[in-house]
Amino acid sequence: MTDRDLASTQPGKFWVCPECDLLMNRRAIPNRHEAHCPRCQSLIVSSKRHSIEWTLALALAGLILFFPANLFPILTLTTLGLSQSETIFMSVTALYDSHLFAVSALVLMSAIVVPLMKLLLMAYLSGCLLFHKPAPLLSWAMRSYQQLDSWGMLEIYMLGILVSIVKLVDVADVTPGIGLYSLAGLIIVTLLTSTQLDRHRFWRRIEQLERR
Amino acid sequence: MQHSALTRGIIICHRCEKPASIKQDGQPCPRCGTHIHRRKRHSVAYTWALLLASMIMLIPANLLPIMTFKSLGKGDPATIMQGVLQLLEHDMLGIALVVLTASIIIPVMKVIGLIILLLTVQLGWTTNVRQKMLMYHFVEWIGRWSMLDIFVVAILAAIVQLGNLASVTGNTGATAFAAAVIFTMLAANCFDTRLIWDKHLEQLEVFP
Ligand SMILES: [Zn+2]
Ligand SMILES: [Zn+2]
Repeated sequence: MTDRDLASTQPGKFWVCPECDLLMNRRAIPNRHEAHCPRCQSLIVSSKRHSIEWTLALALAGLILFFPANLFPILTLTTLGLSQSETIFMSVTALYDSHLFAVSALVLMSAIVVPLMKLLLMAYLSGCLLFHKPAPLLSWAMRSYQQLDSWGMLEIYMLGILVSIVKLVDVADVTPGIGLYSLAGLIIVTLLTSTQLDRHRFWRRIEQLERR
Repeated sequence: MQHSALTRGIIICHRCEKPASIKQDGQPCPRCGTHIHRRKRHSVAYTWALLLASMIMLIPANLLPIMTFKSLGKGDPATIMQGVLQLLEHDMLGIALVVLTASIIIPVMKVIGLIILLLTVQLGWTTNVRQKMLMYHFVEWIGRWSMLDIFVVAILAAIVQLGNLASVTGNTGATAFAAAVIFTMLAANCFDTRLIWDKHLEQLEVFP
């Protein structure tokens, strides 16, 4: 048997760097440790303590914050007795009223639909994994979460709010509302969810559950 | 000698990173169901196509107005660059720099970065491979932040609706700009960094 045959008959004994294709022997990574690729330095495994518990807690916290962030006004503009408030959904409709239909759909997706979908998928997935409950669509949920990951853009929306505030200071009084504080909380929770997610552990657990 | 997994007959699922035998090339991954391919398919061609599309869209994005700020009935549609200049006129240097970086500097740098990476693969410019990996990660991470100007238009159009006193509407330049940002994000997704290492190893064999 050549080297090549030996390797390809037991692919599970190896790690492969997804960035540079380096073949490594698989080894156990203790909690709170990371393994980097020796050739290209990209992160291979980042083992988290209580990864599933944390992502479930964070996803639930995010779902709770999602509602005030979307229902309460983010900014209120007042000048000469007139006032106007803004929520995320109103920025979608404002673009629609400017006849920018594609852009309005893009803002709807990246600032409302994708962030909500990510939280729902993660709450469902980590809930099922935590209670060892074989449920339908587990690998679909994980796959969709990974695909949606970079299309949720709440933190960029937040920077957009800050730029808008600065642009408007000369024109009128701008006051932040409950929506803005909830949105800040939601962004922190969303970012923490992706850092606490140990994708290798999640995929291994999904595989165990679906095999049963 | 460091080996590529492919030369040892191992490929991985690009979604869940499960290793598989090369015999499973083109078949669905046993763990997540995604089709496994040894490398992202048509990576170079798709990346070029999306990159060209985004370069073409950047032209109307910068020439057409992206929003109109009307105050007391006065105000003309402004392009991205005019918006930055207006901020400078009001002595808002910091915010003008943020908008300039997100809307003009980042898109141009992303396009240049991806062209360098594509030529690396096609022409075999495999010196400083690690720097090129850093460049790719930078392009991939920074891409989304160009959406800033789109969100600013969306927020201002929603909040500045005070009838004749002041109003903001979005203009068609925003559509072109959003398309340019989306195309570069997709282009970065289509690029397969392993092709750089394949080329690098290929050249090491010829000139050890
Ligand atoms: Zn690597
Ligand atoms: Zn897979």
